Amino acid sequence: MTDAIPQENGANAGVRPGHYYGYGIPYLPIDGYPGKIIAIEGTDGVGRSTQIRLLREWLEVQGYGVIETGWTRSTLMQPTIELAKSSNTLNKLTFALLYATDFADRLEKEVIPALKAGFIVLADRYIFTALARAQVRGIDRTWTRNLYGFAIAPHLVFYLKIDERTLIRRVLESRGMNFWESGMDLKLADDIHDSFRAYQRSLLREYNSMADEFGFRVLDAKRKVEAIQEELRRQIGEFLAESDSRPI
Amino acid sequence: MFVTEWNSSALVKAATKAGKKKNALTPMTFSLLHATDFADRLLYNIIPPLKAGMIVLADRYAYTAFARDATRGVDPRWVRELYSFAVRPDLAVYFRVPIEVSVDRLMARRVKLKFYEAGMDMGWSASPIESFRIFQGRVLEEYDRLVEEFGLDVIDAKTSITEQQRAFRKVVTRHLAGAPEEQVEPEPVEATEAR
Repeated sequence: MTDAIPQENGANAGVRPGHYYGYGIPYLPIDGYPGKIIAIEGTDGVGRSTQIRLLREWLEVQGYGVIETGWTRSTLMQPTIELAKSSNTLNKLTFALLYATDFADRLEKEVIPALKAGFIVLADRYIFTALARAQVRGIDRTWTRNLYGFAIAPHLVFYLKIDERTLIRRVLESRGMNFWESGMDLKLADDIHDSFRAYQRSLLREYNSMADEFGFRVLDAKRKVEAIQEELRRQIGEFLAESDSRPI
Repeated sequence: MFVTEWNSSALVKAATKAGKKKNALTPMTFSLLHATDFADRLLYNIIPPLKAGMIVLADRYAYTAFARDATRGVDPRWVRELYSFAVRPDLAVYFRVPIEVSVDRLMARRVKLKFYEAGMDMGWSASPIESFRIFQGRVLEEYDRLVEEFGLDVIDAKTSITEQQRAFRKVVTRHLAGAPEEQVEPEPVEATEAR
């Protein structure tokens, strides 16, 4: 295991930010890479992408190199994941493994090179989404954690927290409820609304239980976009000032 | 009786194919894609016949991943834990062949060596044959370790097909004789949760 030390600023699960959570990728040593990972977590419909876009502009204006990486966006896996979701052949294990493959592809090809070059990596969701989804589907916790032992502990994790009622209203007002976001594969309810509510409630419970363990910085997602952005900038600004990060 | 082959699930075929074509797979994504393929086949092709009391013949099993992924530099402990959802086979047979025999047979078949099969992704040699020799040589060393660790039954694959088959049947017969007839496996579905 990676050398574990007591929690420090932004540390999680006893692992220092910028280090592998578990066994890591032996052929890719990352010690001393100057870049930073800032992850924004939260369920569907909490406004993550808006916040990331605004953060990116703000950081770039200051001269930082920034890359974004987002869930299921790897070129290798995106078509397969889309295909698998549109068919009925996914089970909870293959679901979890496809996500992990997507994550590994992006980690090796986008995140690690960016860290090496001293960039700030803005992650639209990180492993916590995968951990929550796997947990809700009843996959063994130890197995999932080991699976993501190749992931790198982020320097900052912001969790945009929302309550179930607000979330339902927001999703309905924007794009409606879809099969997977509603956890219909879990057969919690026949009705999509009831299934969505039950599924998202379980997810929210998982995120909450991870908040302490992984040192999430919790933000109220019900606040106005500008207010959340301001808070993000304040905390990130402080972190960057304290760390060795300099604009490139 | 049911036969299942390594890397044959429809689910990950597209990604594996695309990745292999562009030589875009890293040791980690190579490993994870094969695990996904295995999980898919385990749940659809392996567990149902086991539950029905059938014999499943698996052409390669998790040991292939243990040997190859470790050779590619993936952490061996991680791969073992990754496959902990797999059902432990009742009998695992390893057909052992020295690397030179393996190379000779490939040359005789005059087939073009595949990029990943020859371990070209490791960049150890620009020559496919030489790369195969180095890569598969190391894979074979890993297998020797696995024989110890998992108690695999070894069959000498230098000999003729007939002789190998004879030896193979002997091992299988001995194993089946020791097992009660009409044996139905205990339910292994929630292998990950049972740990």
